[in-house]
Amino acid sequence: MAKWINFLRKYGPIPRNDNMYDEAIQRTSRRSKIDPISFEHPFQEKVFACFDCSPLSNVILTGTAGDGKTHLCREVWVKLGGDIKEWESDDPYVCLENNGKYIHFIRDLSGWAPPMGHTWEDHPEKKKLILQFVESCFVMGSDNVFMIAGNDGQLVEALRRLSMESDSSKVIEFRNILDELLVEDKQYIENVFLELFNLSRGSSAEIFDKALDALIHHDGWSECLSECNGRDSCPVRTNYNLLKTDIVRIRIRKLFELCDHNGLHLPIRQVLLLLTNCVLGHPDAKDSLIRETDVLNIIDSGKVAEGCLYNNVFGGNLPYRRRSSITVFDYFERFQIGEETTNRIDNLLIFGEDDELLKPIYDGLFGSDPFFSNDLHFRNAKKNYIEAPDEDEESSNRFLEMLVRYRRGMFFMIPIEKEQEYKLWDLTVFRFAGEYTKDVHEFLASGNKHVHGKILGRLVRGLNRIFTGMMLESNDKLYLAESGSYSQTKVSRIFLDYVSVRPSKNEKVVIIMEDNKHVFLRVYFTSSDFEDLKLSLVRYEFLSRVAEDGALPASFSKECNEDILAFKSRLIAMWNNIRNCDDEETTEDNIEIRILSSESGKPKERSISIRK
Amino acid sequence: MNQERLYPENKNPEPSMWVDEAIWGHRLYDEQVPWFIYLEFLNVAAFYSKEGKLFEEPNGYNRLVYKAAHRLYLRNILFNFPLSKMQQISHMDLSDNQMWDKWFLEMDETQMGLIYPDFSYLRMHFDRFVDLVDVIKLVHSSCLELHSNKRWTSKFVFPYCVDALYEDLDRKTSSNDRRFFGRTGELVYLMLCRAKGKEKLRKLLNERVFSSKDTMWETVIRSLQPANSSDGSERKVGFLPYESHHCFDSLCQDWIEILELNIPLIDLAPHLVKLVGFHVLRFQQELARESLNDENKSYYVAEIIAPKKTLVRELSVEFYQKNNNLSMKAVVDHIEQIEKSEKWQQACDSSDPFQNCKELLLERVLWPRKQSDYEGAFNPEDLMASLKAAVRRRHSQHVGNIHRVYGREIGLISKRGTNRLRYAPTDAFIRTLVLTNVNTRMEFKEFLIKLFERYNIVIGDVEAQRMTCIKVQDLDNKAFQNNAERLEQRLSSIGLLRRLSDGCAYLLNPYAK
Repeated sequence: MAKWINFLRKYGPIPRNDNMYDEAIQRTSRRSKIDPISFEHPFQEKVFACFDCSPLSNVILTGTAGDGKTHLCREVWVKLGGDIKEWESDDPYVCLENNGKYIHFIRDLSGWAPPMGHTWEDHPEKKKLILQFVESCFVMGSDNVFMIAGNDGQLVEALRRLSMESDSSKVIEFRNILDELLVEDKQYIENVFLELFNLSRGSSAEIFDKALDALIHHDGWSECLSECNGRDSCPVRTNYNLLKTDIVRIRIRKLFELCDHNGLHLPIRQVLLLLTNCVLGHPDAKDSLIRETDVLNIIDSGKVAEGCLYNNVFGGNLPYRRRSSITVFDYFERFQIGEETTNRIDNLLIFGEDDELLKPIYDGLFGSDPFFSNDLHFRNAKKNYIEAPDEDEESSNRFLEMLVRYRRGMFFMIPIEKEQEYKLWDLTVFRFAGEYTKDVHEFLASGNKHVHGKILGRLVRGLNRIFTGMMLESNDKLYLAESGSYSQTKVSRIFLDYVSVRPSKNEKVVIIMEDNKHVFLRVYFTSSDFEDLKLSLVRYEFLSRVAEDGALPASFSKECNEDILAFKSRLIAMWNNIRNCDDEETTEDNIEIRILSSESGKPKERSISIRK
Repeated sequence: MNQERLYPENKNPEPSMWVDEAIWGHRLYDEQVPWFIYLEFLNVAAFYSKEGKLFEEPNGYNRLVYKAAHRLYLRNILFNFPLSKMQQISHMDLSDNQMWDKWFLEMDETQMGLIYPDFSYLRMHFDRFVDLVDVIKLVHSSCLELHSNKRWTSKFVFPYCVDALYEDLDRKTSSNDRRFFGRTGELVYLMLCRAKGKEKLRKLLNERVFSSKDTMWETVIRSLQPANSSDGSERKVGFLPYESHHCFDSLCQDWIEILELNIPLIDLAPHLVKLVGFHVLRFQQELARESLNDENKSYYVAEIIAPKKTLVRELSVEFYQKNNNLSMKAVVDHIEQIEKSEKWQQACDSSDPFQNCKELLLERVLWPRKQSDYEGAFNPEDLMASLKAAVRRRHSQHVGNIHRVYGREIGLISKRGTNRLRYAPTDAFIRTLVLTNVNTRMEFKEFLIKLFERYNIVIGDVEAQRMTCIKVQDLDNKAFQNNAERLEQRLSSIGLLRRLSDGCAYLLNPYAK
């Protein structure tokens, strides 16, 4: 058991997690004779394809640390017949010949490019090579082809320095091309022989699926589990078994999907770290990750439940500082699962076991749970809390901490078919997340055209409230209004126009999906003039809450508010353009000012005419 | 870098001495907040734009004379008659005619400054009295200083068009008492007259600001005043002692960048205002250093507000304090140079030391001109001491506050989160810097470098390392890296930055041309 657990720990949030780096994984794996957790990289097929066609194209792999750049680079090296021994050298630059072409691999740009304080001039052979690369991007079928893996920041920095040192117009042109590829999320540009793969644009949920399968089917487990036969209460085994259940997979995957929808990318390294922590996390173990020697102690102390997967998913086993410095926990923290609650949920957790009405529900959720069905610590703490509420602050705090764990547990126990009934998403800060994924994303992805009118109407109401700064109830027309001074002013009383939500004279407001991935709210002024608002989860929640409650938690209001106001400016600009095209010069003697006000939620406009 | 200063030909000018003025011109004035600088500037510029002589000094340096409008009809209606009272009238059980008549009557009594007031032109523009009331309410929502306790003659319409421009007046509406229009706007006009690139700025201002677009707002503003009302009086433009300076050029350049953006004019104004405040603040710093022959730079170590104390905050406080005291040093030094000069020594050693010293001072600082300027003993030491005290006192009253007051007004300086002033820019100020300096898109680190190279604003570790006045080993790079990271987060939260990965982010200018 020890060997596998020790190997696995290295993927986890320990101070020296060697398995963060492809090079290190390979080394550890050889030493311990355990295969690394491996699966096909989601981009592998696409990248391989670049070397299967003719003419060959240069390839840049960029992305966040841990996205698998080096790994993918190695796969290409091996595929093209490169010598694995040569790859294992420490040289960040290697080269091979393939069908008469030289394929240059710069597998670690930061290790290869001149370090800070140096110039390209200080390394003439490197300068020559990088210029050769730039050159080959403009030549079809060049004899030199490059495969460069590097963080995009380093790439931009390297070229910035190069463009300062070199007066070649090619370099400057190339820099602009690179900017365009990066910022506009393109893979290639016409007539440039370069394919750029930004691995950070992949789906984290997809990586999660692959990583989870690779982890649970890893050979290491069979030996490990057979060795500890009989220790049914071993937290590692329990977590491992939980990880194999559908419900846990579905719920964790949902969190990844929602991160994707919010534009928060989690690289492979973070996904593996999370999974490892799920299985091995326990606050009492060394570095909060269980070693073989910890297992018995934990069982004996009766604190098995403290290492439950439900809590480990959120890094609950780790000290706050450690947790907040790890991206995946930082992102998951934003769901506020465990902190967010309703009276209903807390009543169930506190009184459920002893209340006749609630007991069936309580038992249905927790009765057969391996961690919680027999959690004496919780039971005692609860008893103390109920019976002696003010006496002992410390113990009540301890109980509240446990409660966080139970709320998190609930997130993984509510069965799919009861999500609505138990209001699963009330356990998170995103109350509308369930609707967002199911009734918007999945609904559109499966080919449906129109989301439910209720949803569209609610979003429109939210937009109207922000656009006008008034508590309008209207949801069938989108109101465009200005304030007259700087457009960031809160209340906009000058009414310009409205756009009908239902199709009318080519005007309409719809929710659409593009690339089977991103959802937009689209406002049509004519059949060909429209503006889009990307509907991330945060914006969806923001608009929905503004529409339902009129207010929202301050934490994400500012950013969204700015976004929505910028959208309004774009809509007004387009409206102005279309109007100016319509009626040429207006040399009327009158102008009309339409003033908008709200009468208990109903928009009311009054026209004033001024003679010039 | 020291260039020859220009001196006034008139040896008996308005100011009681020529010390601050010698360094920064006539004059920097702390009570004239950046919005008012902008408005005063617009008054001068609108006049010359109409004459077809925008940014020209045809008769030589510092000899311009312009005329600023008063627009007392517009101002009486908007600011000298309570809106609530108009609303009361509009709710009375009266016919529309009766409402008008009632209001005309009351207005005639309330108005100030008009000799034969006649507000009946309003009826040509508005069908009903309630329409007028609603329009005034609308105009009010964008007025400047509306809710401050400033006198009614110091309240301003948003500068929608030339017809919305007028000068500040005293309570009796008789003249510009220089209370809030203290010539800093005139000074800015002169700066731009002498800036490189002014031709382009002239074109942009003429096109975007001074030409009539017949917008709704222009109609509204015009409808509130009688046609062809020409009033106002001639004013001499202030005094700027330099023929050229890089500060003038960079203000000009920054204004051009903003005016070229694809944003409605109304939304441009706040950016132009922030920039003018910032460049005047920088002008004060740079000229103080030049006057002191100080080769160091004024760095603005900007803390992007952190939840708790950081090294960046400490440095920011430190630099703020140093910079803030700099102008006082400069004026004191200006006097000490005279005291140390050979001429002063000769005068002291002459047969009539007091008289000769006094004459030297009169020549150099135009002081003491009035009997009451100096009433001490007739010896050079007391005279000099008295001058120094007067200079300090005078400087601390107004010019010495520029750094703090303008910095706070534009959102560069703040106390937020602490009780000490420091450079802690607001989102709005940062937004202005982005719109000014990012053409379409720019890599984040490059942006930080640009802010450093153009304005000496220090945010990240790379820039901190480049500060010449600090020992590099004393710097905590991590603190500056975190600072830059916080900026990045804020930029992203106001929609101006796109993060590509953990190592790369781009600033985007949403209004790029």
